Amino acid sequence: MDYEFPKEFDLIVVGTGVVESILSAAASRVGKRVLQIDENDYYGGQWASFSLESIIKSKHHKKDYGGNESETNLLRFGNDLVSLKNIAHKFHMTSNNTLEEETDKIENEEQPKENKWTEENLLKLSRKFNIDLYPKLQYARGDFVELLISSNIARYCEYRSVSRILIWFNNRLESLPCSRSDVFANTKVSVVEKRMLMKLLTSLNDKEKHVQNYENKTFKEFLTDKKLTPNLIHYVLYGISSSSDDTSCEDGIEKARRFLNSLGRFGNTPFLFSLYGSGEIPQAFCRLSAVFGGTFALGQQIQGFSISDDKFKSVTLQSQTVEAEKLVLNIENLPARFIKSDKLEYISRCILITDRSVLDSEKEHLSLIFYPPTDGKSFTTVIEMGFLTGTCPNNLYLVHLIAKQNTSPQEDFQHVIDKLFASHVEETSQEKPSILWSYYFSMPETNDIILSDDLPNNIFVCPGPEIDLDYDTSVDKAKLLFEKMYPDLEFLPRAPDPEEIIIGDDNEEEESTDINEEDHDKVINVEQEDKENVISAEQEDKVNVISAEQEDKVDQQ
Amino acid sequence: MAKTYDYLFKLLLIGDSGVGKTCILFRFSEDAFNTTFISTIGIDFKIRTIDLDGKKIKLQIWDTAGQERFRTITTAYYRGAMGIMLVYDITNEKSFENIKNWIRNIEENASADVEKMLLGNKCELEEKRQVSKERGEQLAIEYGIKFIETSAKASIRVEEAFFTLARDIKAKMEKKLEASNPPRGGHQIRASEPQKKPTSWLSRCTIL
Repeated sequence: MDYEFPKEFDLIVVGTGVVESILSAAASRVGKRVLQIDENDYYGGQWASFSLESIIKSKHHKKDYGGNESETNLLRFGNDLVSLKNIAHKFHMTSNNTLEEETDKIENEEQPKENKWTEENLLKLSRKFNIDLYPKLQYARGDFVELLISSNIARYCEYRSVSRILIWFNNRLESLPCSRSDVFANTKVSVVEKRMLMKLLTSLNDKEKHVQNYENKTFKEFLTDKKLTPNLIHYVLYGISSSSDDTSCEDGIEKARRFLNSLGRFGNTPFLFSLYGSGEIPQAFCRLSAVFGGTFALGQQIQGFSISDDKFKSVTLQSQTVEAEKLVLNIENLPARFIKSDKLEYISRCILITDRSVLDSEKEHLSLIFYPPTDGKSFTTVIEMGFLTGTCPNNLYLVHLIAKQNTSPQEDFQHVIDKLFASHVEETSQEKPSILWSYYFSMPETNDIILSDDLPNNIFVCPGPEIDLDYDTSVDKAKLLFEKMYPDLEFLPRAPDPEEIIIGDDNEEEESTDINEEDHDKVINVEQEDKENVISAEQEDKVNVISAEQEDKVDQQ
Repeated sequence: MAKTYDYLFKLLLIGDSGVGKTCILFRFSEDAFNTTFISTIGIDFKIRTIDLDGKKIKLQIWDTAGQERFRTITTAYYRGAMGIMLVYDITNEKSFENIKNWIRNIEENASADVEKMLLGNKCELEEKRQVSKERGEQLAIEYGIKFIETSAKASIRVEEAFFTLARDIKAKMEKKLEASNPPRGGHQIRASEPQKKPTSWLSRCTIL
């Protein structure tokens, strides 16, 4: 296109996933000049959320990477290794055009009769879906939530707490007793067991003491030695610590503690979810980065980047070369020659649209379901989202399944799907939800990927989503990378916030104005420091000349 | 205890770079004008509480943070917005033509019943005018929205614009509250609920 970026930045970020967006925000926040670009015309990469139509159309992988070096000695971004694989989607009901009347009804009342869903009327509601490629929850007291609060990024999103946690046990779904009141209200647990469980949960706080004799043992062995009943072992092992049979004692205790520590902060469960989907999270960090001067461009054609003297030098876009001191990029965008691992672990994913909840209840709109490992199948995490999560239309449910891959997504989840859902619309049972649409794929697990030693030391590589329920691993990774990049600078200090100061106290009208002024000054300072980053009016004029084609592209996001 | 406001409205400013969105924001929130605010670095949103028919209305007005420059406004920016000021520059034909693209963008990302208003800014630069007032009016009629020509620099009708938008939102909201009790769907309710302290998030949490 005709517009031009400044020729030089402190940092170029390629990709808009969670980790690289955190780094972009952190760098902009401390006054670095940041350019963040993405070849996709939407934010988030493997962390994005899509409408129903766009997830079906989206390819999630780029063109061939044959011949990494072009004539100009540019290294091309991207590799064949790290991309979504085995993508398969399907509507599970007959496509039927004669139901026009019904469709109109849905538009008006959103109250279709059961079993009347068709491919057409689901697609009509396409934009009411925000389908996460990788849904994430947040521990109410986890590092991620603390970071959102301490950096003031929390204001860019809204949250819902997970409203209930269920666990598959004795061939049925049961509520997981996790808080004190849950434990006591639970009718499935005997009084003796209640006491046992409370004692264990309280005692888990003293981790050191427990781990001493269990260094090479599993959490399951630990629980068995504690003489817990099979019921309780099931609840604690697969529920509270969401562990498997082979989880080490140390990890199991750590996971259980995180769960227990996050109880009672917001809502009945330890988890929060970002309203409108997990795709909002990377965008929140991008917004902060932009507020502090970061330049953003999506849908960019990137030719490649150049290295000289073992250092990253510049990125060449469609018609312009932009230099920077450092390059941050997502693993998806890393050329294959810098990846040492030749085989990757995968996460099996399945996304379903269903017509009712797995366990009907008036007020439950966001359920986390633990499905323990059975017969060689991996532990499966299921997240069911209702209308109030902002991710699907009224009267429908969006169900996400996540498991470590054994064979293929279809095979890995078949047993769970058989138990929880009716397999065909026709064969509706009174209790089980029908599957209206399914989407299967394999997500590469890139957190432990080994990078080659000749990666220039001013290039920083960010992993994609990993199997954990939450973002804490990603935050740790971002912090670690930031420390390497800018060892002397603070990581995401609190951003000034006029709103927060005015809200809250009831008698603050006057004093808040003063604090406001102060914030205002801070803001201005940042602006002056970043003067060079200001794109001149002349360049802005050029920006206006974006062709209709380009707009269409961006508009689709 | 006395509340400091009755309603909180989230408003957005949308339009091409350089049409004066940030200047309008500063004129309205601080009654100040500064030509050096060419780019929007460091400005997230501004607050001003106004009185309308005996109600205190807190307007939280969000700026684009420069993300309009390459059409990379985040979807999150549109979430929960109740009113949008569509701004063009009367001395810049292209910025006027782009309004229809911004409207399409809004339709795709914002809530369907968001209140919109069209502003032709820089009306003090009569000698450089490229877009006639009639064309602005015509476009507004096409979309069924209100239209005002403003000048952030000369402080012309900026107040009027925000008061008009706020009044329309308030009317729509009160009508809705009357009509449907209780209202469906969670996210529209927010503005009518006086915000509590950020520390008291319950099942639905937002730190603003």
